[in-house]
Amino acid sequence: MENKLHKVIPIQPVPYSRSRQAGESQTVLDHIVNDFPDNPAAMQYFYDLFQTVYCLGEDVPHEGLLVGTTCIQAPEELIYAFGATPMRLCNGSYHYDQRGGDFMPAKSCSLVKATLGMLSSDNIIPKIGKPDLIVNPTTCDQKKKSSVMIESLGYTVFDLEFPNSKESEASREYWQRSVREFAVRLRELTGRKLTRKNLKDAIRKIGRAQVAFRKLHNFRRISPSIILGKDAFLVTNAYFFDNIECWTEAVEKLNEELAQRELDGFKAVQSKAPRVLFTGSPPIFPNLKLPLLIEESGGVVVTDETCSSNRMLYDMTAVDEWRVNDMVDSLADKYLKPCTCPIFTRNDDRRRRLLDLVKEFKADGVVYQAFAGCQVYEMEYRSVAEEFNRAGIPMLYIETDYSPDDKGQMSTRIEAFLESLKNKKKRQA
Amino acid sequence: MNHIRHRVLPALLALLACGFVLAQDGGGRPPEGASQGEKRAFYQKRAADRAKAAESAAPAQAAAPAPVAEHPHGAPASKSVTDKAAPARSEAPARAATRPAGMGMAMRGGSGAVWLSDSPPARGDGPPRAGMGGMGGMSMGGDRSGPPTKRLWLRAGTDPVKSGFAKEDAEAPAETLLVKPQGALTGEALPAPEEGKKNLSFAMPVQGYYRLYVTTRKLQGDTLNISVAKAEVSNFSHGGDEEERSVALTAARVLETAPIEIVREKAATEPTFFQLKSGDEQAFVILQKGLPAQGARVRFVSHEGWSKEAVSDEQGRVSFQVIRDYFPPWNDFQKRFKGTYLVIADTSATEFGKHKDQPYTSVRYQATLAGSYYPAIEDYRSYAWGLGVSLLFVLFCGVAVYLYRRRRIKTFQDVRFNETK
Amino acid sequence: MKPSKPPRPSVKKAPTPTRLQAVRDAVNQVDFNRFRFWFQLVAFVLFVYGGYLAIDLGTHLPFFSCGYNKEGRAGVCYLLPLQHQLGRPLAMLFTAAGLAILTGFLLFALWFIVLNKGWCGFVCPLGTIQDWITALRRSLGVRYSKYTQGQFKQLTKIKYILLALMILIPLGVGGGIFSRDMSPPFCLICPARMILPLFTGDFSQFTVDFSSMTALVMTVLGMAVTGLFLVGSFVKKRFFCFFCPMSALHYLISKPALLKLKKDGDKCTRCGDCYRVCDMEIKEIADDVKTVDIMTDDCTLCLKCVASCPEPGALKATFCGIPIFEATEAGFIKRMNKGCHDGK
Repeated sequence: MENKLHKVIPIQPVPYSRSRQAGESQTVLDHIVNDFPDNPAAMQYFYDLFQTVYCLGEDVPHEGLLVGTTCIQAPEELIYAFGATPMRLCNGSYHYDQRGGDFMPAKSCSLVKATLGMLSSDNIIPKIGKPDLIVNPTTCDQKKKSSVMIESLGYTVFDLEFPNSKESEASREYWQRSVREFAVRLRELTGRKLTRKNLKDAIRKIGRAQVAFRKLHNFRRISPSIILGKDAFLVTNAYFFDNIECWTEAVEKLNEELAQRELDGFKAVQSKAPRVLFTGSPPIFPNLKLPLLIEESGGVVVTDETCSSNRMLYDMTAVDEWRVNDMVDSLADKYLKPCTCPIFTRNDDRRRRLLDLVKEFKADGVVYQAFAGCQVYEMEYRSVAEEFNRAGIPMLYIETDYSPDDKGQMSTRIEAFLESLKNKKKRQA
Repeated sequence: MNHIRHRVLPALLALLACGFVLAQDGGGRPPEGASQGEKRAFYQKRAADRAKAAESAAPAQAAAPAPVAEHPHGAPASKSVTDKAAPARSEAPARAATRPAGMGMAMRGGSGAVWLSDSPPARGDGPPRAGMGGMGGMSMGGDRSGPPTKRLWLRAGTDPVKSGFAKEDAEAPAETLLVKPQGALTGEALPAPEEGKKNLSFAMPVQGYYRLYVTTRKLQGDTLNISVAKAEVSNFSHGGDEEERSVALTAARVLETAPIEIVREKAATEPTFFQLKSGDEQAFVILQKGLPAQGARVRFVSHEGWSKEAVSDEQGRVSFQVIRDYFPPWNDFQKRFKGTYLVIADTSATEFGKHKDQPYTSVRYQATLAGSYYPAIEDYRSYAWGLGVSLLFVLFCGVAVYLYRRRRIKTFQDVRFNETK
Repeated sequence: MKPSKPPRPSVKKAPTPTRLQAVRDAVNQVDFNRFRFWFQLVAFVLFVYGGYLAIDLGTHLPFFSCGYNKEGRAGVCYLLPLQHQLGRPLAMLFTAAGLAILTGFLLFALWFIVLNKGWCGFVCPLGTIQDWITALRRSLGVRYSKYTQGQFKQLTKIKYILLALMILIPLGVGGGIFSRDMSPPFCLICPARMILPLFTGDFSQFTVDFSSMTALVMTVLGMAVTGLFLVGSFVKKRFFCFFCPMSALHYLISKPALLKLKKDGDKCTRCGDCYRVCDMEIKEIADDVKTVDIMTDDCTLCLKCVASCPEPGALKATFCGIPIFEATEAGFIKRMNKGCHDGK
């Protein structure tokens, strides 16, 4: 018998929404939306947003030039003041993580691998387009070294010099100078001038967003919780790329709904559900693995201390004299002084913040996530553990990465931890 | 702002050094801890030395004794003093040696005027002493723990500086009357001074104006000479009773029974602790038995002997502008220099009566009042310099600060290493 | 395991706040700068012109109501009578006069403990003048100057040196070491003596006194300090308060005061907002998370720090232990984002 030569059918390019990458996002989003009861109606905006951006791969519009940032320390008010739009590039997709793993060292942090993987791909999702400038604050080692790598991928990078210590006067001066240099760079990029009015407007715009976030943050104090942590994470993750005004309005609507929920005495979880403070390496959509596991197991993430959520929006700017000089310095101070990023030499502020959050939100326990390869978070674990030990607060330390392989193991550990929290509460009661 | 630190500390240190050096007072004081007798001896010796110097300087002036003869009612103020406390200097009026004859001095009435002074003739010139004001003033001696005591001396002569003690006249005993604030309006008699002392002293327990009147009546021919020497001491303290003070400030300062008196007119805006300054206008009112005396001849004599005459108007009022007559070499200038002025008022009237069973047909009244005045503020305070210095400093500091701030723009040179071997 | 559905009760309305809470909220959200401006203005008029209305609040006032402003003053700054009293002859100080100094000081202390160093921040006329000069600079768009931390540490000692001199020099005058022209030493160099009488038309303090070398040096120094004051207040907020001996004196007796500034270090994120707005550039207010009584010797209790703190309860001003002005989120947002759309 002869082998008939069949025509070779070339692989059709599939639309993004049918790709494996989209599938990853879709799975997570479906899980978030469908597998939990009583989602707030105002969250629909965010579900739709993530659907369009991550699952359908549609364009994310922006005004003016696009400035990508890799860390929360890049002063976004300045970027807005110059008429550009900032967008956080940190990525949570396992697909990109694997892609980045091709050219990054094996033991690197997943987040950096994913970000670089994203930047190296032809089709960047979220579809923000090619940034006109990428601002890379010199925070952790991996971010620092990725500067040159990003440049080699064909982008324009600006190294924003961030001090490694915030205790000394010299570091404060250094950072203020750094921010001023950044302003000069933005002026060159956009061709505009920094005026009192546009800076004031930018501060107001972000201030408004921060006010909305603070309200949301405060609603989560209520016990039993009226909103689940998964939704809060989604809200703050949306801040990365969403238009800030639309985002602010959506959050304000959410706040109204939550206010009503509060009056109604609505409970999003059982009264005995363990309240968890989530801290450590930032969970970024679609990598909301741990928070979702916690909430699936009956717990609720009431607050967090991560740079993809709470830390990004919490600290507000105070200005003494509304003149350009003073405003720029105020911004610089806001980004440096209260920052609890583990890249600093000392972490007294972080520990105090954690204790305060536990007290304010009446958290029963803490889940500390550290990405494998994140030297700074892993090293800080010890002092944080000691602090919590002293205060008698139970903590679960999980070292993980973006891969979904360890879900089973994680789930077991988390369930056990939540059980122990419940038992502890029963014993104390 | 390092230049501030570099500027202030050395300035303060220099200041301390200055103050220390300057506080040394000039010589002329008796040694510390000398007893009263030793102090007296010291002053006598000093006066004698000075008198010697004066004598050799100028011849005695005959003008002085002449008016004494002219005026039959020359008051017991003849310059001779026999009291041992009085040094030789008090004989000076007879010689009038070192003093310029001055303008119109010792010519007209009152060459032998008797007046009350708050300093004895021994220490004539008025260098400032700590804590002492003029006629007004704070504690003047006496026991510190009790109310202050004021001492006044009766002197004779028209030279506020050099007049000597008034001579006691047996024929015309002096009646002293002290009017106290919140006391009897007609006053009360003051005990005679102790043996050996020439001062009239009284305690001042209450705040207010204390007035001392020394009246003498002497018959010469058929004219009765009545002379009233008055002293007004203002006693106010900073922390005293407010009500007492306000009562005293508004009380009347006139003795209705005085045959003649001079009252210093207080301006409406005069503060409690008043000091008359050179250049100020000072008005006096001449009253006889509480009623204004018109047509009295009033003479104002300044510290250096300059005098001016005026006649009182129908309200008994006469006004003088205090001249500036303190012109020491600049290094000796004392801004609290207390100059003494003397106001002498004369008037006469035709009255009939008997004095000690002897008739008289006319009466001559003479009243005196002494006071003190100080150099005017403009004599030693300069606005131009003040404004100039502050402007200079504003400019200097402004430029310094500006340059310092400009430094910021240059690349910073934080850490500096000293190159050592 | 999926969480179960909780029951849904009927829609309710928000409860109205209690009256006390409403008052508290109103105070904590006040437009602080405007409040402080008016308070200072009223205090300024009272103490610089009150004398015309025969107001006399005594001679033991714990702020610069200058005694040289003879017509308008409504009371005298305590430093003037203190220097006068200390300048009496030393022998006198060991008698009843010494007791008078103690009772005077006690009266001063009683005045002081009511508002603690709040007298500096809200009432002192010289402080108010400096704030007005600052407002002038701000409207001209000139940037303000700051001390480096090293400079701060050195310069803050000057006020104690001035306080010591202010007490020792009059004692020296009383003891005969120094000439009387050197008393009152601080008043001679204080810029308030020159500047406050200007407001009642009295220019006589702008003179240099040539009558003696001491007087010459002191009045020239006074003129120099006035010039320095004018330049310094222009570029630095509350320049003079940093060197004020009254401030040092205040701090030494501030323990029993009624008005206090308290910090809850646990709530502090060390964001440094308080340090940013502090006129005196006190770093401890931001960095010290252990101390509760956080008023330092430089503080003027202007309470700008409390007004600019975004963490609820981290900073508060208490009167007799009762918090009267606290840092709140709502207050911060209102003050820093004027005109911001709030939603509630």
